Amino acid sequence: MNVISRDASNYSYVNARVRSRWALLLDADEYDTLTRMGPSEIARFLGESEYSPEIDALGSRHSGVDLVEHALNRNLARHFDDLLEWSQGTLYDLISRYLRKFDAWNVKTALRGVYSETDAGVIDDDFIRAGEFDDALLGTLEECESVESVVDALAETVFGDPLADALDDYEETGALVPLENAVDRTFYDTLLRGLNAATESGTREFVKFLQAEVDFRNIRNAFRLARSGGTIDPSEYYIEGGRLFEASELASLVENRDELVARLRESRYGDQLGPALERLESADSLIGFEHALDAALLGYADHLSHVFPLSVCPVLAYILAKEREVDNIRAIARGREVGLSGEEIEQELVML
Amino acid sequence: MYETLVAAINMLGLIAQQSAEAGSTVAFPPAAGAALGVGIAALGAGIAEGGIGAAAVGAIAEDSDFFGIGLLFTVLPETLVILAIVVIFIV
Repeated sequence: MNVISRDASNYSYVNARVRSRWALLLDADEYDTLTRMGPSEIARFLGESEYSPEIDALGSRHSGVDLVEHALNRNLARHFDDLLEWSQGTLYDLISRYLRKFDAWNVKTALRGVYSETDAGVIDDDFIRAGEFDDALLGTLEECESVESVVDALAETVFGDPLADALDDYEETGALVPLENAVDRTFYDTLLRGLNAATESGTREFVKFLQAEVDFRNIRNAFRLARSGGTIDPSEYYIEGGRLFEASELASLVENRDELVARLRESRYGDQLGPALERLESADSLIGFEHALDAALLGYADHLSHVFPLSVCPVLAYILAKEREVDNIRAIARGREVGLSGEEIEQELVML
Repeated sequence: MYETLVAAINMLGLIAQQSAEAGSTVAFPPAAGAALGVGIAALGAGIAEGGIGAAAVGAIAEDSDFFGIGLLFTVLPETLVILAIVVIFIV
């Protein structure tokens, strides 16, 4: 273990702050309270928690579920911007690479918004300003008239070339899927590019963490494909960089689900995935399994952050946990709005 | 950082060896040895405090209640130096 970071990263400082923020995340009891509240009560509850700056700032413009939603997005962006502000050296580089997933999110939001001809203001509210894109670029994106002009506006970014390549497919089929896939793949491609896991101590843990995330994503895609039983080629959705499957293996495993389950049980994630796999076999519901999968990834991230305390892992695990919390609160608020019962909402939550 | 430290200690070892070979009874003046000991101990304490201090400041920035405990843990490696000072009184 690195006692003093030689690359001028300030792991100890950032991790102390991250751990402290981690402690502020909601626990099971608070979720329990939230599931019994109405949307405006949830907003008030959040106003008394660490979401208060956002609730106060947005309270006059929005109300109810919209207020909760926008406050959650802003809070997410604030916390993740803080992470970048604190960190230095390699740590900064790694975190900014990972936070590029919000750029991917914003690109997808812009594509979908423009595709469905949504107002610029509505698209703007859905952006999460935690990535690399600045306000000027996001402003250009939301003002675009057509999907083609969104792709043009992104020409200078890492997403430019892959999107331009996927544009033909889009024009042929009229569906956004090829473009969204291009965005996802670009994100994962750039994530691990140029990192030498074998030699650099700081990046070794980063690579390990991301391999896990890629593996989990591949597992999820494999199950979705196995479930749909369609004729889609699984390797189209395969993301490079994981350690669990090869693209060719995935194709054969998708056809044989029992083998896939057995394979996962033997893998390094077997311990974490155990409950998820049991849930899949007993309930046979894909949504339940996906939630269990998310919880398993959270568990594995938590495990890694304890194995490598002075590394980028605790920060990434915090990012995951925070995102999950925001998703949970959103699910509760939306669920209460449409009048789901407490038990039904609880099934939708992902908790450790 | 560690490389320079190790190199410095190696060099000191060489000096001590050479003066022993020169035939004098005391290879290295005891007072100088004690002084070096304290110095190196302080250096070690400083290295240890660097990381702890950074973490403590991070924790205090999030929640000022950590001030007392943060300060305590930051100066904990200082005990090394105090133990090293004992050597001065022995030689």
